[in-house]
Amino acid sequence: MSAATSETTGPLIDCRSVWKVFGKGSDLAIRAITERGLGKAEVLKEFGCVVGVADVSLTLNRGEIFCIMGLSGSGKSTLIRLFNRLIEPSLGRIFVRGQDVSAMNAEQLRQVRARHLGMVFQSVALLPNRTVLENAAFGLEVQKIDKARRNETARAALARVGLAEWGDRFPSELSGGMQQRVGLARALASDPEIILMDEPFSALDPLIRRQLQDEFRQLSKDLGKSAVFITHDLDEAIRIGDRIAIMKDGAIVQVGTAEDIVLKPADSYVEKFVAGISRLHLVKAHSVMHPLAAFRAVRPEVDVAKLPRTGTDSDVDELIRLAVDGRQDAIAVVEQDKVVGVVTTRSLLQGVRGKELGEATAL
Amino acid sequence: MDTDTLTTAIDEAVDNGLNWLNDHGGDFFDAIRSLLEGFYDAIEWILLAPPYLVVMLVALLLGWRTVSLRFGFAAAVGLGFCAVMGLWKETMETLALVIAATLLALLIAIPVGVLAGFRPRFDSWLQPILDMLQTLPPYIYLLPAIALLGFGPATALAATVVVAVPPALRLTAHGIRFTPQNFLELGQATGTTPMQMFTKIRLPFAMPSIMAGVNQCIMMAVGMVVIAGIVGSGGLGSAIYDAIRTLDIGKSIDGGIAIVILSMILDRITAGAVAAESEADR
Repeated sequence: MSAATSETTGPLIDCRSVWKVFGKGSDLAIRAITERGLGKAEVLKEFGCVVGVADVSLTLNRGEIFCIMGLSGSGKSTLIRLFNRLIEPSLGRIFVRGQDVSAMNAEQLRQVRARHLGMVFQSVALLPNRTVLENAAFGLEVQKIDKARRNETARAALARVGLAEWGDRFPSELSGGMQQRVGLARALASDPEIILMDEPFSALDPLIRRQLQDEFRQLSKDLGKSAVFITHDLDEAIRIGDRIAIMKDGAIVQVGTAEDIVLKPADSYVEKFVAGISRLHLVKAHSVMHPLAAFRAVRPEVDVAKLPRTGTDSDVDELIRLAVDGRQDAIAVVEQDKVVGVVTTRSLLQGVRGKELGEATAL
Repeated sequence: MDTDTLTTAIDEAVDNGLNWLNDHGGDFFDAIRSLLEGFYDAIEWILLAPPYLVVMLVALLLGWRTVSLRFGFAAAVGLGFCAVMGLWKETMETLALVIAATLLALLIAIPVGVLAGFRPRFDSWLQPILDMLQTLPPYIYLLPAIALLGFGPATALAATVVVAVPPALRLTAHGIRFTPQNFLELGQATGTTPMQMFTKIRLPFAMPSIMAGVNQCIMMAVGMVVIAGIVGSGGLGSAIYDAIRTLDIGKSIDGGIAIVILSMILDRITAGAVAAESEADR
């Protein structure tokens, strides 16, 4: 069966042309979308229906953290709830581990949610009448795993998030950051392949937030988890995400790595977003170097072999450090022991501005 | 047809209806009567069999666990005072009626309340009935009860149950209905079955409201049990009613004091349980 093979090889989540339309008469609106190809604005005008998610297609690959970034009202929270069918899609199909979620019956859906799709909420939602350990074990309890085993697993999950000593406390005794760690431990305890993170760190202080972002990224890489991570904060998306999707008005405007999005914003909306982002850690040497031949042609007097060297993945911050320490105005970029290009002071400044090196950039 | 004859006709119809019920359902109502009385007698026996010092000790322990040690002592002393006034038997009879009525009322109110919490349509159908039960003066219920069940504690019990059900039912339904949205989402996303969702998420959040319902239920029962002295409920209600008929003001005030003591103990203990529940929710 093809489903069985795609369970192990294909993308973990495959979302194909999914729409969610809210409001009365959404059936008619859906028909108009399929038959006449109406867009979001026309649907609102003609049917008075709000389009939450408009024609979204995306995939979550194995081992990947996929960030969906958008402002409030962009439909990102609706979208993540379509993946585990907390909200029914109006149109389109969503495959989780190769299985069509929208075709599942209640029991199959429960199984998928319990075993394969962990979820962490912005509101954390720890049950106040249970201890931290009992909260962490909640998913396993729902799966009717016996108490000794589920407590053992939950204790291990708490230890993973640094709360080994807190199992007997109640959630109200914990700080916001610690509570969200429990939320994460609860999701991890059931050992799902996919974790759906719905703005989990948005309500936390900046310092705690950064700490948790780094911990979360490290943890999911260590455990080999894949995650869809919703955020309204581009900095957070860049810190955490392997790929980032920018969402606006229910549609995905651009998908790519952080560097793609910063260097090649798809439209003026994305451009405005990335304007305030520091490029220092995003722009890499390969984007701002001159090809070796071009450099030699213009500056034959420089001995490339004596320049400070660095890899193609060094970021601008590292390049600046090399330029300052090396007392030279150029840096050789090396790939597999061969110099492939040269970063000059001018091209470095271009990188600081977050621009790729164009034809016009003089040496 | 003028209005007088119309009302007379209705009154006659009601009388005939009750008579018909009595004639044709006599055995049925006798059975209910003996069931209610048996239940009441059992609780009364439990309260009156041990010496009053034991009951005082139980009150002390309960008050201590739910409120404070100080309140526990106050409760025990209060009950002792009832004994000193020579009203021990009456106080315990009243307490037995309150306990019996509350248990029966909760047996109806909680399951029906849960159902009403889940089914908005059933709830909207139930609301006017509850409104009517709560707005009619409570002693109205004594009349049909006495017609069908006769003079005695069974009648008092039945009428008290009718009065005590609505607040507990409403508060139970309210508690079930208002589970926070994010916790419902947690339950769904975790893959709970409907039953797990109810026992692990909805019910714990509804507990403070349900406990407040239990407290209201008891307080309504205390109030009604005294009124039911008219139909021979026994206990403090009857003692006060007899004292009023013979204009024995002193005796009636003693009875009043005993009721105040009893209702304060019951209120504080159950309210303490409510506070403990909401504490756990924070």
